[in-house]
Amino acid sequence: MPLTPALLRSLVVPVWQSLPWRALAVAGGLGLLFAAAARLPEQGPGEDPGLFLLRLVALTGALGLAFLLDDPARNTTETTPLGRPLRAGLRVVLVAPLAVLWWTTALLLIPGPTRPPLGPVTLEAAAMAASALALATAAVRFTDAGEVGKATAVWLGITAAVAVLVPERWGLSAVPGEPWWEATQVRWAVVLGVTVAATALCTPEPLRRRSVKLGS
Amino acid sequence: MTPPPAPARQPDFQELRMTTAPSTVTATDLSLRYGGTHALDGVSLRLSRGVTGLLGPNGAGKTTLLRVLATAAPPDRGEFTVLGHDPGTAAGRLAVRRSLGYLPQTPGFHPDFTAFDFVDYVAILKELTDRGARRREVRRVLEAVDLSDVRGKRIKRLSGGMRQRVALAAALVGDPGFLVLDEPTVGLDPEQRMRFRELIAQAGEGRTVLLSTHQTEDVAMLCHRVVVLARGRVRFEGTPAELTARAAGRVWSSTERDPNALAGWRTGLGTFRNIGDPPKGADLLEPTLEDGYLLALDSESRTVTA
Repeated sequence: MPLTPALLRSLVVPVWQSLPWRALAVAGGLGLLFAAAARLPEQGPGEDPGLFLLRLVALTGALGLAFLLDDPARNTTETTPLGRPLRAGLRVVLVAPLAVLWWTTALLLIPGPTRPPLGPVTLEAAAMAASALALATAAVRFTDAGEVGKATAVWLGITAAVAVLVPERWGLSAVPGEPWWEATQVRWAVVLGVTVAATALCTPEPLRRRSVKLGS
Repeated sequence: MTPPPAPARQPDFQELRMTTAPSTVTATDLSLRYGGTHALDGVSLRLSRGVTGLLGPNGAGKTTLLRVLATAAPPDRGEFTVLGHDPGTAAGRLAVRRSLGYLPQTPGFHPDFTAFDFVDYVAILKELTDRGARRREVRRVLEAVDLSDVRGKRIKRLSGGMRQRVALAAALVGDPGFLVLDEPTVGLDPEQRMRFRELIAQAGEGRTVLLSTHQTEDVAMLCHRVVVLARGRVRFEGTPAELTARAAGRVWSSTERDPNALAGWRTGLGTFRNIGDPPKGADLLEPTLEDGYLLALDSESRTVTA
């Protein structure tokens, strides 16, 4: 039976119910709190507190998205005709509008005078979200684990920490006005492209060998 | 010196009918490695309708074999077909999955789903589109596993045995032709195990069931065929009666543990039950399926088991 609209409609409710709402809510709430901190009289660190806070918001959101593919029922449902890639895709589709709404709210919480250029900072947020999804997808693809969110979040955190340590000239943390700001945006675009491609590559279930945990 | 084997029990009509039935699942030379370990090492077997037991010690490769046959893990080498479909292609794998019910060793759930909602979700994943027909089917399988009364309860509120039955209902939904059950009776109390045996026996009527288990009693009570797997290789394939017959004349009682025995243990009566090549004049005992199973293993696997 081909994938029909009726089948998709039937799937929406259970997939929606199976989303990791706790992780998403915690990350979303924290992110908005960070954004709201921009309205405090004492603003965040650095010369560009709006950008700093929005980067923190984006990273928090990405850490929440690291849990998006968590599926405690994975081993019970992994051999059904409507496979994991479809469900993973549906999860992304269901969460995407909420993520857009959440990001827009975060942007609006940053006062106008301290708000950084929206295009570049949104590109950074998208790249961080795509990185989280790529890591989670790879974890699902190469392990048997049903809940890969914690490990993915840890790896994402480590990656972010390493990225911060890279000098701004070659890294991802330049601020507007610096001579390498535009080059930084190009690097963020590359991160976005690579992670989207990695997600696409890791999503299908292979017909040949894949890594599995040794059972009995 | 090997004593003359005792006559094997003649297979009854039902066994004969089952063993001569056409194969529904065939596997040839299946191999799968993890690093330097052969989880499966050239496994070939044929399954027909009815319940086939898969026996083997821990680490024998049972779960790996079940995962391969259930299309959860592709093999490194070898081929298999399920109900005429080759899962080596995307279309073939889809066709296999449409005919498959799989109960993993430790089934996972969405804990906030009710039993009904979870089985309904699996039914959707099995492409049961029509809402009314799907709900009737979900009610049918929940009734079959005796969970109708708790179908509205969240899974996190159910006992371990009930969760296991939810997983079995999920495997049964859609009436699959090939059912793969990975140690479904582990962790169940005797009453629940008996109930599960009834369910599996019912499930084996008209479909192919592959049942992985550590329990030789499960095999003796349920299975028309048995496969013994050890260290990734098939050590025996035949009927339970044939496996038992292998131990005929090779089980004896003694007052001390016989050092020449391949395996031996003290029984509740204080005597030792030995298996292997008995000494002359040994007090031979009636063999059991477990004796045959232990003899089918290689010495390394047997040490672990006995």
